[in-house]
Amino acid sequence: MFTEETVIEVRGVVQRHKHFQLGPVELSVPKGYVTAIVGPNGSGKSSLFRLLLDLSKPDEGEMTVLGERVGGDDRQLKARIGYVPDQAIDIEDHLRAEEKAAFASMWYPGWELNRYQELLRRFEIDPSIKLGKMSKGMRRKFDIALAMAHNPELLLLDEPSSGLDPIAWKTMIDVLHRYMERGDRTVLMASHIVDEVKRLADYIVFIVHGRVLGMFEKDALLESWYALYIEAGSMMASWKTMPGYRKHEQVGAQFKVVTGDVPEAERWCAEQGLRITGRQKLELDDILTVLIEQERLRMHS
Amino acid sequence: MWIPIQINELSAEPLYHQIEVQLRALIVSGQLAEGTLLPSIRELASMVKCSVITVRRVYQDLENEGLLRTRQGTGTFVAKVGDEMRDVHRRSAVIEAFESAVEAGVRVQCGEDEMREILEEILRKRREG
Repeated sequence: MFTEETVIEVRGVVQRHKHFQLGPVELSVPKGYVTAIVGPNGSGKSSLFRLLLDLSKPDEGEMTVLGERVGGDDRQLKARIGYVPDQAIDIEDHLRAEEKAAFASMWYPGWELNRYQELLRRFEIDPSIKLGKMSKGMRRKFDIALAMAHNPELLLLDEPSSGLDPIAWKTMIDVLHRYMERGDRTVLMASHIVDEVKRLADYIVFIVHGRVLGMFEKDALLESWYALYIEAGSMMASWKTMPGYRKHEQVGAQFKVVTGDVPEAERWCAEQGLRITGRQKLELDDILTVLIEQERLRMHS
Repeated sequence: MWIPIQINELSAEPLYHQIEVQLRALIVSGQLAEGTLLPSIRELASMVKCSVITVRRVYQDLENEGLLRTRQGTGTFVAKVGDEMRDVHRRSAVIEAFESAVEAGVRVQCGEDEMREILEEILRKRREG
């Protein structure tokens, strides 16, 4: 799909859990873009992040991050990455923010005090507060600031906005846009917040029940998924042969057919002599819902 | 820098096309003067809530048309637009708008005469203020 440079390569990675299997995952994350991993809870998003950081081991497969193989000595590699996990690390609750920052600064050669303070200011964080005493939103903002203070080449964000109020959320979006401005940095983020993905992502990866369902250019994806309302008259159209067919249902005298390839589907309708009476763009969450339904059907068959 | 581009989410026109048409109109009409530095690709993408891939495509297209030029390391600027080119583009924006109006008409099975009547009516109302 890409002729461009990639920063993450995942090849045939499988991780078996008691009630769940992640993979086999194939994934290439391009450099210079924001790629959003979108999927329901429990689909394997956080497991994937942990694998990329070698915080857990795969049962099969290989991964490279920033050109380095995952699983070896990664002290230098980790210094080039910023990571915000889905849950704050509670063994650090007794630390004050400034103590945690002082500790982090020793491990990251790229740590920039001015950058750190600028982020604290932008997010309105008081660094004298103990981490355990911070509100959920404040803690989140601090984790984001901390992950970015060493100007990493790659940012891994696992549900970064959970707990943020709308103002902090806007600040985060803006901070991330500015971070990406240079064009050589990469963000891989997990999110299921539609507006967040819309505003930030360039590419979208769907993951459902541990399976990666593909990677899409965001704007092209949102422009090709439509529900078409079609007057079929007495004709019995075989909807499943429609290009990009996903599902159909009868709505009164009409049919509502969902396609993931609207230009071809419309051409097909014209050839079949079917009249389209309405068209409706699908939002990201609607697309995800259809994909989850289909994945469920696939698993039961 | 803020650029007045309005995205119609309900429109059937692809995002890149909407942005391209509006940006072209701003340049050709002179609202964006020669030499104006445009927002960076990431900046414009965040303004109109689309991906950098889309904006890059728009900048590329308009550069190929000679309306923009990119200086390595500095950014993308509005190029000099000749009068001839200005005239071509002036009409193309109008043709574009009519095309989508006709499209809307066809969708509700409006006949050609009916559409002409509607246009006449709109023009008449406008004349009378």
